[in-house]
Amino acid sequence: MKPEDDLDRLLRDTLNQEVEQHAYLLEGLEDRIRSELAGRLPRAGLGDLFRRLLAPTRGARIAQLAVVGATAVVFLVLGVFLAEKVLPTGGGSLRHAAVAAAGTTDEDVLFVMPAPDAKSVAVVGNFNNWSPTPLSDPDGDGIWTARIHLSPGRYEYAFVVDGHWWGQDPLADDYVRSFGQYNSVRYVGRAGEGA
Amino acid sequence: MSGRNLDGHLVYIGSKEENDGVYHNTSEVDLLRAALAGDVDAWGEIVLRYKDAVFGLCLGFVRNRADAEDLTHDTFIRAYENLRRYRLDKKFSTWLFTIASNLSRNRLRHRRYHPVVSPPDQMVGGTDPAAIVAREARQARVKAALDSLPPGYREPIVLRYYNELSYKEIADVLSIPEGTVKTRIHRAKVMLKERMERSGVMKNEARG
Repeated sequence: MKPEDDLDRLLRDTLNQEVEQHAYLLEGLEDRIRSELAGRLPRAGLGDLFRRLLAPTRGARIAQLAVVGATAVVFLVLGVFLAEKVLPTGGGSLRHAAVAAAGTTDEDVLFVMPAPDAKSVAVVGNFNNWSPTPLSDPDGDGIWTARIHLSPGRYEYAFVVDGHWWGQDPLADDYVRSFGQYNSVRYVGRAGEGA
Repeated sequence: MSGRNLDGHLVYIGSKEENDGVYHNTSEVDLLRAALAGDVDAWGEIVLRYKDAVFGLCLGFVRNRADAEDLTHDTFIRAYENLRRYRLDKKFSTWLFTIASNLSRNRLRHRRYHPVVSPPDQMVGGTDPAAIVAREARQARVKAALDSLPPGYREPIVLRYYNELSYKEIADVLSIPEGTVKTRIHRAKVMLKERMERSGVMKNEARG
Protein backbone atom coordinates (compact mmCIF):
# COMPACT_ATOMS: atom_id res chain seq x y z
CA MET A 1 0.00 0.00 0.00
CA LYS A 2 1.14 3.53 -0.72
CA PRO A 3 2.61 5.51 2.15
CA GLU A 4 0.25 8.01 3.69
CA ASP A 5 0.18 11.28 1.75
CA ASP A 6 -0.89 14.78 2.75
CA LEU A 7 -4.46 14.23 1.67
CA ASP A 8 -4.71 11.06 3.80
CA ARG A 9 -3.49 12.98 6.80
CA LEU A 10 -5.78 15.94 6.15
CA LEU A 11 -8.83 13.68 5.87
CA ARG A 12 -7.96 11.73 8.98
CA ASP A 13 -7.35 14.92 11.00
CA THR A 14 -10.47 16.67 9.78
CA LEU A 15 -12.80 13.74 10.42
CA ASN A 16 -11.34 13.12 13.87
CA GLN A 17 -11.46 16.78 14.77
CA GLU A 18 -15.12 16.96 13.73
CA VAL A 19 -15.96 14.20 16.21
CA GLU A 20 -13.83 15.69 19.00
CA GLN A 21 -15.63 18.97 18.49
CA HIS A 22 -18.95 17.27 19.17
CA ALA A 23 -17.70 14.88 21.86
CA TYR A 24 -19.73 16.69 24.51
CA LEU A 25 -22.90 15.42 22.82
CA LEU A 26 -21.92 11.86 23.64
CA GLU A 27 -21.48 12.38 27.36
CA GLY A 28 -23.68 9.97 29.30
CA LEU A 29 -25.08 8.31 26.18
CA GLU A 30 -24.38 4.89 27.69
CA ASP A 31 -26.42 5.77 30.81
CA ARG A 32 -29.34 6.99 28.73
CA ILE A 33 -29.40 3.89 26.59
CA ARG A 34 -29.01 1.69 29.63
CA SER A 35 -31.98 3.23 31.38
CA GLU A 36 -34.06 3.28 28.23
CA LEU A 37 -33.45 -0.43 27.77
CA ALA A 38 -33.86 -1.16 31.49
CA GLY A 39 -37.33 0.37 31.27
CA ARG A 40 -38.24 -2.36 28.79
CA LEU A 41 -36.99 -5.21 30.89
CA PRO A 42 -39.18 -7.57 32.89
CA ARG A 43 -40.48 -6.18 36.10
CA ALA A 44 -42.70 -7.84 38.71
CA GLY A 45 -43.81 -10.88 36.77
CA LEU A 46 -45.42 -9.20 33.81
CA GLY A 47 -42.03 -8.96 32.20
CA ASP A 48 -42.31 -11.76 29.70
CA LEU A 49 -45.51 -10.34 28.37
CA PHE A 50 -43.91 -6.91 27.94
CA ARG A 51 -40.92 -8.39 26.23
CA ARG A 52 -43.02 -10.21 23.71
CA LEU A 53 -45.05 -7.08 23.14
CA LEU A 54 -41.89 -5.09 22.58
CA ALA A 55 -40.33 -7.42 20.07
CA PRO A 56 -43.08 -8.32 17.63
CA THR A 57 -42.98 -8.43 13.86
CA ARG A 58 -42.24 -5.30 11.91
CA GLY A 59 -45.85 -4.67 10.89
CA ALA A 60 -47.16 -5.15 14.40
CA ARG A 61 -44.46 -2.89 15.69
CA ILE A 62 -45.48 -0.03 13.41
CA ALA A 63 -49.09 -0.48 14.49
CA GLN A 64 -47.93 -0.49 18.10
CA LEU A 65 -45.97 2.71 17.64
CA ALA A 66 -49.04 4.36 16.18
CA VAL A 67 -51.06 3.31 19.23
CA VAL A 68 -48.32 4.51 21.58
CA GLY A 69 -48.17 7.84 19.73
CA ALA A 70 -51.92 8.32 19.95
CA THR A 71 -51.90 7.32 23.63
CA ALA A 72 -49.10 9.78 24.26
CA VAL A 73 -51.16 12.65 22.87
CA VAL A 74 -54.13 11.60 25.01
CA PHE A 75 -51.87 11.44 28.06
CA LEU A 76 -50.53 14.92 27.39
CA VAL A 77 -53.99 16.43 27.24
CA LEU A 78 -55.19 14.31 30.16
CA GLY A 79 -52.09 15.15 32.13
CA VAL A 80 -52.61 18.90 32.01
CA PHE A 81 -56.29 18.45 32.76
CA LEU A 82 -55.94 16.08 35.70
CA ALA A 83 -52.94 17.79 37.17
CA GLU A 84 -55.06 20.87 37.73
CA LYS A 85 -57.18 18.78 40.11
CA VAL A 86 -54.37 16.94 41.78
CA LEU A 87 -52.31 20.02 42.45
CA PRO A 88 -54.40 22.93 43.67
CA THR A 89 -52.40 25.91 42.59
CA GLY A 90 -54.66 28.77 43.56
CA GLY A 91 -54.64 29.94 39.98
CA GLY A 92 -50.88 29.96 39.75
CA SER A 93 -48.72 27.99 37.41
CA LEU A 94 -48.84 24.21 37.76
CA ARG A 95 -45.15 23.71 37.62
CA HIS A 96 -44.54 26.05 40.46
CA ALA A 97 -46.95 24.19 42.67
CA ALA A 98 -44.98 21.03 42.11
CA VAL A 99 -41.79 22.65 43.18
CA ALA A 100 -43.34 24.89 45.77
CA ALA A 101 -41.72 25.87 49.03
CA ALA A 102 -39.06 27.83 47.23
CA GLY A 103 -35.75 28.77 48.68
CA THR A 104 -32.44 27.06 48.84
CA THR A 105 -33.38 24.07 50.97
CA ASP A 106 -34.13 20.49 49.97
CA GLU A 107 -37.63 19.69 48.84
CA ASP A 108 -39.96 16.73 48.54
CA VAL A 109 -40.76 16.96 44.87
CA LEU A 110 -44.00 15.43 43.70
CA PHE A 111 -43.94 13.51 40.45
CA VAL A 112 -47.35 12.90 38.93
CA MET A 113 -48.17 10.81 35.90
CA PRO A 114 -51.73 10.14 34.75
CA ALA A 115 -51.71 6.65 33.25
CA PRO A 116 -55.10 4.99 33.78
CA ASP A 117 -54.34 1.65 32.13
CA ALA A 118 -50.68 1.32 33.04
CA LYS A 119 -49.29 -1.72 34.82
CA SER A 120 -46.18 0.05 36.05
CA VAL A 121 -44.94 3.63 36.13
CA ALA A 122 -41.50 4.75 37.20
CA VAL A 123 -39.44 7.91 37.06
CA VAL A 124 -35.81 7.92 35.91
CA GLY A 125 -33.55 10.91 36.09
CA ASN A 126 -30.16 12.23 36.91
CA PHE A 127 -31.22 12.28 40.59
CA ASN A 128 -31.38 8.47 40.63
CA ASN A 129 -28.70 7.78 38.02
CA TRP A 130 -31.43 6.97 35.51
CA SER A 131 -32.47 3.85 37.38
CA PRO A 132 -36.23 3.57 37.90
CA THR A 133 -37.95 4.82 41.07
CA PRO A 134 -41.51 3.42 41.00
CA LEU A 135 -44.61 5.62 41.18
CA SER A 136 -47.64 4.25 42.96
CA ASP A 137 -51.37 4.48 42.52
CA PRO A 138 -52.83 3.05 45.75
CA ASP A 139 -56.42 4.22 45.14
CA GLY A 140 -56.47 2.95 41.57
CA ASP A 141 -57.65 6.23 40.04
CA GLY A 142 -54.98 6.11 37.34
CA ILE A 143 -52.94 8.97 38.82
CA TRP A 144 -49.51 7.66 39.70
CA THR A 145 -47.40 9.61 42.15
CA ALA A 146 -44.06 9.58 43.91
CA ARG A 147 -42.40 12.02 46.25
CA ILE A 148 -38.66 12.32 45.95
CA HIS A 149 -36.46 14.29 48.26
CA LEU A 150 -34.18 16.52 46.18
CA SER A 151 -31.63 19.17 46.99
CA PRO A 152 -31.72 22.46 45.06
CA GLY A 153 -30.64 22.16 41.45
CA ARG A 154 -31.66 21.34 37.93
CA TYR A 155 -32.92 17.82 37.26
CA GLU A 156 -33.55 15.98 34.01
CA TYR A 157 -35.97 13.09 34.12
CA ALA A 158 -38.53 11.04 32.27
CA PHE A 159 -41.30 8.62 33.13
CA VAL A 160 -41.23 5.01 32.05
CA VAL A 161 -44.80 3.84 31.55
CA ASP A 162 -45.07 0.08 30.97
CA GLY A 163 -41.61 0.14 29.53
CA HIS A 164 -42.16 3.13 27.27
CA TRP A 165 -40.15 6.30 27.60
CA TRP A 166 -42.36 9.29 28.38
CA GLY A 167 -40.20 12.37 28.54
CA GLN A 168 -42.78 15.16 28.37
CA ASP A 169 -44.18 15.65 31.82
CA PRO A 170 -46.83 18.39 31.65
CA LEU A 171 -45.60 19.59 35.05
CA ALA A 172 -42.03 20.09 33.89
CA ASP A 173 -40.35 23.49 33.93
CA ASP A 174 -38.63 22.78 30.65
CA TYR A 175 -37.85 20.08 28.12
CA VAL A 176 -34.65 19.03 26.45
CA ARG A 177 -34.25 16.81 23.45
CA SER A 178 -31.26 14.59 23.11
CA PHE A 179 -30.51 11.35 21.35
CA GLY A 180 -33.86 11.17 19.72
CA GLN A 181 -36.05 11.56 22.77
CA TYR A 182 -37.42 14.18 25.08
CA ASN A 183 -36.56 14.58 28.73
CA SER A 184 -38.31 16.82 31.22
CA VAL A 185 -36.52 19.34 33.40
CA ARG A 186 -37.38 20.50 36.93
CA TYR A 187 -35.71 23.21 38.92
CA VAL A 188 -35.71 22.61 42.65
CA GLY A 189 -35.20 25.38 45.16
CA ARG A 190 -35.59 28.17 42.67
CA ALA A 191 -39.31 28.01 42.05
CA GLY A 192 -39.94 31.36 43.67
CA GLU A 193 -37.61 33.22 41.34
CA GLY A 194 -39.64 32.68 38.23
CA ALA A 195 -43.07 32.84 39.85
CA MET B 1 -23.43 -23.89 9.71
CA SER B 2 -20.22 -22.17 10.49
CA GLY B 3 -21.38 -19.32 12.72
CA ARG B 4 -21.47 -19.72 16.41
CA ASN B 5 -24.63 -18.14 17.69
CA LEU B 6 -24.44 -16.12 20.89
CA ASP B 7 -27.67 -17.76 21.90
CA GLY B 8 -26.06 -20.97 23.00
CA HIS B 9 -23.80 -19.31 25.53
CA LEU B 10 -25.76 -17.33 28.00
CA VAL B 11 -23.46 -16.10 30.70
CA TYR B 12 -24.27 -13.58 33.37
CA ILE B 13 -21.31 -11.63 34.59
CA GLY B 14 -21.75 -9.79 37.85
CA SER B 15 -24.95 -8.47 39.37
CA LYS B 16 -26.50 -5.10 38.73
CA GLU B 17 -25.38 -3.76 42.10
CA GLU B 18 -21.74 -4.37 41.45
CA ASN B 19 -21.72 -3.27 37.85
CA ASP B 20 -20.32 0.24 38.05
CA GLY B 21 -16.90 0.07 36.56
CA VAL B 22 -16.55 -3.70 36.72
CA TYR B 23 -16.91 -4.06 32.97
CA HIS B 24 -13.76 -2.13 32.16
CA ASN B 25 -11.70 -5.25 31.73
CA THR B 26 -14.41 -7.53 30.43
CA SER B 27 -13.88 -8.96 26.97
CA GLU B 28 -16.19 -7.90 24.19
CA VAL B 29 -17.59 -11.38 23.70
CA ASP B 30 -18.48 -11.69 27.39
CA LEU B 31 -20.17 -8.29 27.28
CA LEU B 32 -22.19 -9.31 24.24
CA ARG B 33 -23.25 -12.60 25.82
CA ALA B 34 -24.31 -10.82 28.99
CA ALA B 35 -26.17 -8.19 26.97
CA LEU B 36 -28.00 -10.91 25.06
CA ALA B 37 -29.01 -12.44 28.37
CA GLY B 38 -30.64 -9.12 29.26
CA ASP B 39 -27.83 -7.37 31.09
CA VAL B 40 -28.27 -3.75 30.00
CA ASP B 41 -25.22 -2.64 31.99
CA ALA B 42 -23.04 -4.81 29.79
CA TRP B 43 -24.63 -3.14 26.77
CA GLY B 44 -23.87 0.23 28.39
CA GLU B 45 -20.20 -0.70 28.34
CA ILE B 46 -20.44 -1.59 24.65
CA VAL B 47 -22.02 1.83 24.01
CA LEU B 48 -19.19 3.47 25.94
CA ARG B 49 -16.59 1.68 23.85
CA TYR B 50 -18.15 2.35 20.46
CA LYS B 51 -20.07 5.61 20.77
CA ASP B 52 -17.32 7.77 19.26
CA ALA B 53 -16.80 5.42 16.33
CA VAL B 54 -20.53 5.18 15.58
CA PHE B 55 -21.09 8.91 15.96
CA GLY B 56 -18.11 9.66 13.69
CA LEU B 57 -19.45 7.30 11.06
CA CYS B 58 -22.95 8.81 11.18
CA LEU B 59 -21.65 12.39 11.18
CA GLY B 60 -19.35 11.57 8.27
CA PHE B 61 -22.20 10.03 6.31
CA VAL B 62 -25.02 12.51 6.94
CA ARG B 63 -22.91 15.65 7.62
CA ASN B 64 -25.43 16.95 10.12
CA ARG B 65 -24.92 17.01 13.87
CA ALA B 66 -28.52 16.56 15.00
CA ASP B 67 -29.12 13.65 12.61
CA ALA B 68 -25.84 12.03 13.64
CA GLU B 69 -26.89 12.29 17.28
CA ASP B 70 -30.23 10.58 16.61
CA LEU B 71 -28.64 7.94 14.41
CA THR B 72 -26.04 7.07 17.05
CA HIS B 73 -28.81 6.51 19.57
CA ASP B 74 -30.87 4.48 17.09
CA THR B 75 -27.88 2.35 16.09
CA PHE B 76 -27.26 1.16 19.65
CA ILE B 77 -30.94 0.49 20.29
CA ARG B 78 -31.33 -1.35 16.98
CA ALA B 79 -28.18 -3.38 17.56
CA TYR B 80 -29.36 -4.39 21.03
CA GLU B 81 -32.73 -5.46 19.67
CA ASN B 82 -31.03 -7.53 16.96
CA LEU B 83 -28.14 -8.89 18.97
CA ARG B 84 -29.49 -12.39 18.51
CA ARG B 85 -28.61 -12.15 14.83
CA TYR B 86 -25.00 -11.24 15.38
CA ARG B 87 -22.60 -14.13 14.76
CA LEU B 88 -19.29 -14.45 16.48
CA ASP B 89 -17.40 -15.30 13.30
CA LYS B 90 -17.84 -11.69 12.17
CA LYS B 91 -16.12 -8.78 13.84
CA PHE B 92 -18.61 -7.04 16.12
CA SER B 93 -17.46 -3.59 15.00
CA THR B 94 -18.16 -4.45 11.35
CA TRP B 95 -21.65 -5.65 12.25
CA LEU B 96 -22.34 -2.53 14.32
CA PHE B 97 -21.00 -0.23 11.59
CA THR B 98 -23.22 -1.97 9.06
CA ILE B 99 -26.27 -1.05 11.14
CA ALA B 100 -25.05 2.54 11.59
CA SER B 101 -24.29 2.86 7.91
CA ASN B 102 -27.66 1.45 6.79
CA LEU B 103 -29.55 3.76 9.14
CA SER B 104 -27.49 6.75 7.95
CA ARG B 105 -28.00 5.95 4.29
CA ASN B 106 -31.74 5.59 4.87
CA ARG B 107 -31.79 8.94 6.60
CA LEU B 108 -30.05 10.58 3.65
CA ARG B 109 -32.46 8.94 1.27
CA HIS B 110 -35.50 10.21 3.13
CA ARG B 111 -34.33 13.65 3.97
CA ARG B 112 -33.06 16.62 2.07
CA TYR B 113 -29.38 17.01 2.58
CA HIS B 114 -28.34 19.59 5.17
CA PRO B 115 -24.67 20.40 5.54
CA VAL B 116 -23.19 20.18 8.99
CA VAL B 117 -23.16 23.39 10.99
CA SER B 118 -20.23 23.39 13.36
CA PRO B 119 -19.85 25.92 16.13
CA PRO B 120 -16.61 27.82 15.60
CA ASP B 121 -15.57 27.47 19.23
CA GLN B 122 -14.53 24.24 20.98
CA MET B 123 -11.41 23.84 18.87
CA VAL B 124 -9.00 21.50 20.55
CA GLY B 125 -5.23 21.66 20.95
CA GLY B 126 -2.77 24.30 19.80
CA THR B 127 -2.15 27.66 21.40
CA ASP B 128 -0.69 29.82 18.64
CA PRO B 129 -3.65 31.94 17.45
CA ALA B 130 -2.28 32.24 13.91
CA ALA B 131 -1.81 28.48 13.66
CA ILE B 132 -5.30 27.87 15.02
CA VAL B 133 -6.84 30.25 12.50
CA ALA B 134 -4.89 28.66 9.66
CA ARG B 135 -5.89 25.16 10.74
CA GLU B 136 -9.53 26.13 11.17
CA ALA B 137 -9.60 27.62 7.71
CA ARG B 138 -7.97 24.56 6.21
CA GLN B 139 -10.27 22.12 7.95
CA ALA B 140 -13.30 24.19 6.98
CA ARG B 141 -12.30 23.77 3.33
CA VAL B 142 -11.70 20.06 3.74
CA LYS B 143 -15.13 19.76 5.35
CA ALA B 144 -16.72 21.74 2.52
CA ALA B 145 -15.02 19.43 0.01
CA LEU B 146 -16.31 16.37 1.93
CA ASP B 147 -19.80 17.89 2.03
CA SER B 148 -19.78 18.25 -1.72
CA LEU B 149 -18.86 14.62 -2.44
CA PRO B 150 -21.71 12.34 -3.53
CA PRO B 151 -22.64 10.04 -0.59
CA GLY B 152 -21.48 6.94 -2.44
CA TYR B 153 -17.96 8.36 -2.52
CA ARG B 154 -17.96 9.98 0.89
CA GLU B 155 -19.04 6.82 2.72
CA PRO B 156 -15.94 4.71 1.94
CA ILE B 157 -13.74 7.72 2.71
CA VAL B 158 -15.27 8.05 6.19
CA LEU B 159 -14.98 4.32 6.89
CA ARG B 160 -11.39 4.35 5.70
CA TYR B 161 -10.09 7.54 7.31
CA TYR B 162 -12.23 7.85 10.39
CA ASN B 163 -13.14 4.27 11.27
CA GLU B 164 -9.81 2.93 9.93
CA LEU B 165 -11.42 -0.08 8.26
CA SER B 166 -9.73 -2.27 5.65
CA TYR B 167 -11.05 -2.38 2.07
CA LYS B 168 -12.56 -5.77 2.80
CA GLU B 169 -14.36 -4.48 5.90
CA ILE B 170 -15.63 -1.42 4.03
CA ALA B 171 -16.95 -3.75 1.33
CA ASP B 172 -18.79 -5.76 4.00
CA VAL B 173 -20.28 -2.71 5.69
CA LEU B 174 -21.49 -1.10 2.46
CA SER B 175 -22.41 -4.38 0.73
CA ILE B 176 -20.40 -3.55 -2.37
CA PRO B 177 -17.47 -5.45 -3.96
CA GLU B 178 -13.99 -4.75 -2.68
CA GLY B 179 -12.88 -3.57 -6.11
CA THR B 180 -15.63 -0.96 -6.10
CA VAL B 181 -14.45 0.27 -2.71
CA LYS B 182 -10.93 0.82 -4.05
CA THR B 183 -12.20 2.59 -7.17
CA ARG B 184 -14.52 4.85 -5.19
CA ILE B 185 -11.86 5.81 -2.67
CA HIS B 186 -9.43 6.57 -5.47
CA ARG B 187 -11.98 8.68 -7.37
CA ALA B 188 -13.15 10.38 -4.20
CA LYS B 189 -9.58 11.42 -3.43
CA VAL B 190 -9.12 12.79 -6.95
CA MET B 191 -12.32 14.83 -6.56
CA LEU B 192 -11.31 16.05 -3.11
CA LYS B 193 -7.87 17.02 -4.30
CA GLU B 194 -9.29 19.02 -7.20
CA ARG B 195 -11.76 20.83 -4.98
CA MET B 196 -9.19 21.58 -2.32
CA GLU B 197 -6.62 22.77 -4.82
CA ARG B 198 -9.25 25.07 -6.24
CA SER B 199 -9.95 26.49 -2.79
CA GLY B 200 -6.29 26.77 -1.93
CA VAL B 201 -5.88 24.08 0.72
CA MET B 202 -3.64 21.80 -1.30
CA LYS B 203 -1.96 24.55 -3.30
CA ASN B 204 1.54 23.79 -2.14
CA GLU B 205 0.95 20.11 -1.72
CA ALA B 206 -0.33 19.24 -5.19
CA ARG B 207 1.56 16.48 -6.83
CA GLY B 208 1.95 16.11 -10.50
